[in-house]
Amino acid sequence: MADSGESLRMTPRPISGGSTTEAELPVPGVAWPARVARSESPLAQGLRRFRRSTTALVGAAIVVGLVLVALFADALAPRSPIASDQTRTFARPSWDYPLGTDQLGRDMLSRVIHGSRISLAVGVSSVLLALFVGVPFGMIAGYYGGRVDAVVMRAMDLILAFPIYLLAIILMVIFTPTAGLIGTMKVTAAIAIVRIPIYARLVRGSVLSIKEKEYIEACHALGVRDPLILLRHVLPNCLAPIIVTTTLGIATSIIVEATLSFLGLGTQPPTPSWGWDLKANVAFIQATPWLSLFPGLAIFVTVLGFNLFGDGLRDALDPRLK
Amino acid sequence: MRTYILKRILGVVPTVLMITLVVFVMMRSVPGDPVVPLLGDAYTEEDAIKVREAYGLNKPVLVQYAIWLGKLVQGDWGTSILSGRPVLQDVLVRLPVTLELVVLSMGVALVIAIPAAIIGALRRNTWADYTATSVAMIGVSIPEFFTGVLLLLFFSVGLGGLLPSSGWIYLPGTCPMMVCGVSLWGNLQHVLMPAIALGIGRAALLTRLLRTSMLEVIRTEYVTTARAKGLAERPVVLKHALKNALIPTVTVMGLQVGFLIGGAIVVETLFAMPGLGTFGIDAIIGRDYQQVQGFALVTALAFVAINLIVDLTYTFLDPRIRYA
Repeated sequence: MADSGESLRMTPRPISGGSTTEAELPVPGVAWPARVARSESPLAQGLRRFRRSTTALVGAAIVVGLVLVALFADALAPRSPIASDQTRTFARPSWDYPLGTDQLGRDMLSRVIHGSRISLAVGVSSVLLALFVGVPFGMIAGYYGGRVDAVVMRAMDLILAFPIYLLAIILMVIFTPTAGLIGTMKVTAAIAIVRIPIYARLVRGSVLSIKEKEYIEACHALGVRDPLILLRHVLPNCLAPIIVTTTLGIATSIIVEATLSFLGLGTQPPTPSWGWDLKANVAFIQATPWLSLFPGLAIFVTVLGFNLFGDGLRDALDPRLK
Repeated sequence: MRTYILKRILGVVPTVLMITLVVFVMMRSVPGDPVVPLLGDAYTEEDAIKVREAYGLNKPVLVQYAIWLGKLVQGDWGTSILSGRPVLQDVLVRLPVTLELVVLSMGVALVIAIPAAIIGALRRNTWADYTATSVAMIGVSIPEFFTGVLLLLFFSVGLGGLLPSSGWIYLPGTCPMMVCGVSLWGNLQHVLMPAIALGIGRAALLTRLLRTSMLEVIRTEYVTTARAKGLAERPVVLKHALKNALIPTVTVMGLQVGFLIGGAIVVETLFAMPGLGTFGIDAIIGRDYQQVQGFALVTALAFVAINLIVDLTYTFLDPRIRYA
């Protein structure tokens, strides 16, 4: 089926296009290729829709640009983000320091560039971590139902019953915020924990409908074992909503990270973090208004990028949701 | 209806118990001992043991929780370890500030979102729609504190201190102390920027949700019928379409309470407001167990209260929905 599709896809699209007309149906061997030619794979269709949307492409461009900035931060940043120069505190934006310097004489541009690492790392990895825990739980709960479902989903409801910031803030106080990689991992874990139930619920919902499908019944009849059914047949079919929620979830996680940093509970200085820099510079907003502007703009552009990208993906992968 | 509300209020009890219990246990697992900063330089091991006994901190966690709960039932919210003030008193002083902020911000959100969503849905794919949806997209992508900073830059820095950048003037009649700044005009000046900062994000989200559900509702047959029987466009949109479109929107807004609480914490911190948000974050960071419990209790109550309001709103929006 899959390899015959390759050659058949080359056949020209029938003019009738939409509905299967009577002329196509009765003749076997003619009707079949015509149908295959019309049905592109859902992924290809989605990609086509995605490429047609300007906003989705803008979002994708922002995201790719940010990933590049984060990867090559060392090469792009003109100076070290943490080296302070006491003779040059609060310098105005100039050729040497395009975004000026902060209260410790650190180059703002370099800090903003390096700050992308924390935001992206926490945003992406917290969502991946939440997926890694939430998706299996949701799949098992939805697939087996009954008592397993009740136990897993009650545990998830327990987390969901919390206002998310209350939980995230207390978790960060328990973890005690620190600088560097460990500090970043703590923030990632705190955000991931509060986001797990979202994915578990989402996946459980999809699995509930997928497990009633004939192809799953066919698997049972063939004696395919449960883990294989879940991985090969159930998971791929609930990917579309997962992908969309993941992209939009990264945007949310980046906001949560920035908020925690703003409250002083994110990755600690000297590690550059946009939320922290914004908070630190708000104190000097009267004298050096530009300093609090740049980290904030960076957060905004990043979140906007993921939101546009996610919206585009949603329209592309699941047009019904629009 | 009355029995339903009563049932719901009883149903609230387990949720509140669970949230306060989890917070209680979690706070006890925060590394460090609140007795150390309390005693400060005068710290001796003997004093520490005495203080721990006085506050019951030497008992097992669950026993401590039971004691807290027992006092709570009698109306005693405990006494702050660090400040020595009764928690309930502090909460009552700060509650009006946060309530005012949240209510006004919801007002801001509704005033912006309802017209924007209606225009977006009715004039779909025109420049008006594109403007509304683009602005809404920008709105959902700005964290509240950055909206606040932008407002500060504009009103306090740019316009030369047109609006005060921090602090608080109490509404007449809510002054908690013997002496405090009280004035209606001063209060309005202080609450305006925080309320807008918190409201804009909500407005953007509301616009997006409401526009989508308006688009769905407008295509339904009863809207066509309403138009066909000669109703003017205004009642068709406001009475037939909007009311029904609000149902899914209200649900999602109810689910967003957690974010609203976070937003209040952040905005109050940015504008240095003496509300519950700053109370909560200070208590958590300072490990003031009793205050944290008070904050968790108020948050949990607010959480369930808003969910109850959401459910009751349904009966107003769709009279077919009845709770027996």
